[in-house]
Amino acid sequence: MAKVGVYVCHCGTNIAGVIDVEAVRAHAETLPDVAVARKDLFMCSDSGQEMIKQDIRAGLVDRVVVAACTPRTHEPIFRAACEAAGLNKYLFEMANIRDQDSWVHGQDHSGATEKAKKLMASAVGKAARLHPLEDKYVDVTKAALVVGGGVGGIFSALELANMGFTTYLVEKEPSIGGVMAMLDKTFPTNDCSACILTPVMVDAGNHPNIKLMTYSEVEEVEGYIGNFDVKIRRKQTYIDWHKCTGCGACAEVCLEQTKGKIKDEFNLGLSARGAAYIHFPQAVPKKAVIDAANCLNCRGHKFGEEPRVSKKTGEPMIAPCQEACPADAINRSLSHDPNGRIEEIKVGSIVVATGYQVMDKGWFKEMAPDSPNVITALQLERLISATGPTGGKLLRPSDNEKPHTMTFVSCVGSRDEKFHTHCSRVCCMYMIKQARLLKEKYPDLSINMHFIDVRTAGKDYDEYYVGARKMGVNIFKGKVGGLEMLPGDKLRVLAYDMESATPIEYESDLVILATAIELPESAKKLAQTLGLQFCGSNFFRELHPKLGPVETSTRGIFLAGCCQGPKDIPDTVSQAKGAAAAAAVPLAQGKVKIEPILSEVHTEKCSGCGICVPLCPYDAISLKIHGDRPRAEIDMTQCHGCGVCTSACPSGAIVLHGYEDDQIYAQIAALTA
Amino acid sequence: MPALIIENDKIKEAVQTIIDLGGDGILKCVQCGACSAVCPGVKAGFPVLCRLLIRKILNGQMEETIEEVSTWGCQSCNRCTEICPQGVRPQEVVFAYRRYQANDLALSTSAFGPQMSLYQVGHAVTTEATAENRKKVGLDPVPPTALNNAQAQKEIQTLLDNSPMADLGIF
Repeated sequence: MAKVGVYVCHCGTNIAGVIDVEAVRAHAETLPDVAVARKDLFMCSDSGQEMIKQDIRAGLVDRVVVAACTPRTHEPIFRAACEAAGLNKYLFEMANIRDQDSWVHGQDHSGATEKAKKLMASAVGKAARLHPLEDKYVDVTKAALVVGGGVGGIFSALELANMGFTTYLVEKEPSIGGVMAMLDKTFPTNDCSACILTPVMVDAGNHPNIKLMTYSEVEEVEGYIGNFDVKIRRKQTYIDWHKCTGCGACAEVCLEQTKGKIKDEFNLGLSARGAAYIHFPQAVPKKAVIDAANCLNCRGHKFGEEPRVSKKTGEPMIAPCQEACPADAINRSLSHDPNGRIEEIKVGSIVVATGYQVMDKGWFKEMAPDSPNVITALQLERLISATGPTGGKLLRPSDNEKPHTMTFVSCVGSRDEKFHTHCSRVCCMYMIKQARLLKEKYPDLSINMHFIDVRTAGKDYDEYYVGARKMGVNIFKGKVGGLEMLPGDKLRVLAYDMESATPIEYESDLVILATAIELPESAKKLAQTLGLQFCGSNFFRELHPKLGPVETSTRGIFLAGCCQGPKDIPDTVSQAKGAAAAAAVPLAQGKVKIEPILSEVHTEKCSGCGICVPLCPYDAISLKIHGDRPRAEIDMTQCHGCGVCTSACPSGAIVLHGYEDDQIYAQIAALTA
Repeated sequence: MPALIIENDKIKEAVQTIIDLGGDGILKCVQCGACSAVCPGVKAGFPVLCRLLIRKILNGQMEETIEEVSTWGCQSCNRCTEICPQGVRPQEVVFAYRRYQANDLALSTSAFGPQMSLYQVGHAVTTEATAENRKKVGLDPVPPTALNNAQAQKEIQTLLDNSPMADLGIF
């Protein structure tokens, strides 16, 4: 007969503040199979764990039940304690009397105590029937995939590559760099964004262990930690990148042909590009692409067709881009597959660093989005950047005149229950940065900033904000209520000064909206591919907000940067390096452990009906010929132990180890006693 | 100016009173001031509307504010509700506060006349100029509304007699 040891935790007052721990412990003593029942203020402390170990070593117990907090964070700790004392760690069972009891029934002490007794008894019932299980190990592919080539992805890739692992860096745009490459300068040091990022981009581009895959998207991910099979779509560039030197001749002639009709994404629509274009001047790799959707097929020279012959000259009429290319990298006569090509890679771990987008101003009808002089902060960033549409001069979009009065509006779409309730975290700082940069350059410029409240929590951040006040930037507490378009391209700002409790109303030449940071639509598709979850603010959910900030609930997939939540560059880089370190662990170990809580088919009972095959969410089950007939077989490396097959099997041929029938019936019996 | 004394019981009572009278979003307010930025009443010089009124209620200053006339400057344009990022519905709070004021007969004097007029002839505000203008374009000087309909006036009086308004004893 099993000798179950029951250990009830006070968890300080987390549990003991509501539940009568002694009553639960005493109840345990009345249960069959229970050999020992003890309690402790903190079972997870050294002394608590030691208590379990001593009872095992003394031969008092051979099954362990801890009634405490959550197995999510603490099951590994207690399993390790059992193992250290020489007991198979799968002979351990946990009853969650905190999350499922004291926390949710805080007002009902006696009810919560009764429930705790039942939860504990059900764990005892199961524990008494547990069997020892053995961990399994599989080899890993010693390579990593980093999705997203912004500053987060670049640093993750560099870290992994420097550790000696082959790292694939996948970026959907033609160049790496992400949003940081679009910024002018960075707070709180005012160093030029391109100046600090470009060398890092070049490092990533030249690193022998980094396989740069730009203009590419992750199409499909299969497998599990240590052994992911990834399909990556290399999008069609229509230009031979082996030959392209990045001279930009094609882009130049194309811009003449397209007459500025195509908005340049990198300058957020403030300037134009050709259908053939280079992403931005410091692009890595510096290669051109042709955006076929906007290509005019000049002189009738379509892709995949020979050029027509001119009746006048008898010469073939090739498209100007092809004509201009000195490296012969453009051959429009070749038939290109518009879908590009799929490349398959194998990796052991994946870092997701897909970044963010800022909300479009069109969402905010009260903020006069139709006015060209109402722009987003990211657009202003391009407007004051040396590589931007005006070469760094502050000129308002409507008439290319220098503005005299400008206005910054904070929390547009952030901290707003109609859009995003979260704080976008960097807006206060970047607005102050932009105001300071402009005030330095144009001391006469009148700058008014309107905040709900100023949030500058970061090293040297508050000093930076106080500095802006000293420079004469006008800062008002109170959210802007609306903007109205006035004749002469001006805008009337309707605001309010909280400190003096008076309305503010003035005319402004240029208005900057600090629109919210959000996850791009494209990241949602990726989430489905990778099985990532979303948090309440619709960013990717980390494993634990404090203790698992770079991990996800899918083992082997890690997060870095703004895809996990809004953050500034220092935090993104820190998290990127952290994610790389975590992603390197399975690669460095060379093998990964698979918990044995998996399903197994008892072939002799299986009728080969195949009901389980389509039910398995992980495609782990297939029918294999066994003897002369087909029988279900479960691939251990694919099985996640969800139990769907077990409950559906009409012959009862599938066993989920750790959750066997008699164990579950014992739990039910205890709960309904 | 005496310092504000923060008393939790007063605050609780104030918030509950406003919630019971219809301003149930009041606790969502983060005092961003967007409502006051667009409020025509605030702009016209009634400072204790929207943001500041909510602040005073959240400070428990119900009695101290009861004679405040700003609240009667609300034009119910509802722009505050449209702009509020937190779903407070400030106009509902203003109206809840007005109900609280009305229950103590702390109505603006300008409110009595229109109330009585509404009771007697079915219109809160009527002007002589309207009759003149109508005559000029060949219309009956009295418009075909409750003003010209004894039956409708009777119905309005019955409704008002059976409403909480009757308890105020204005009519």
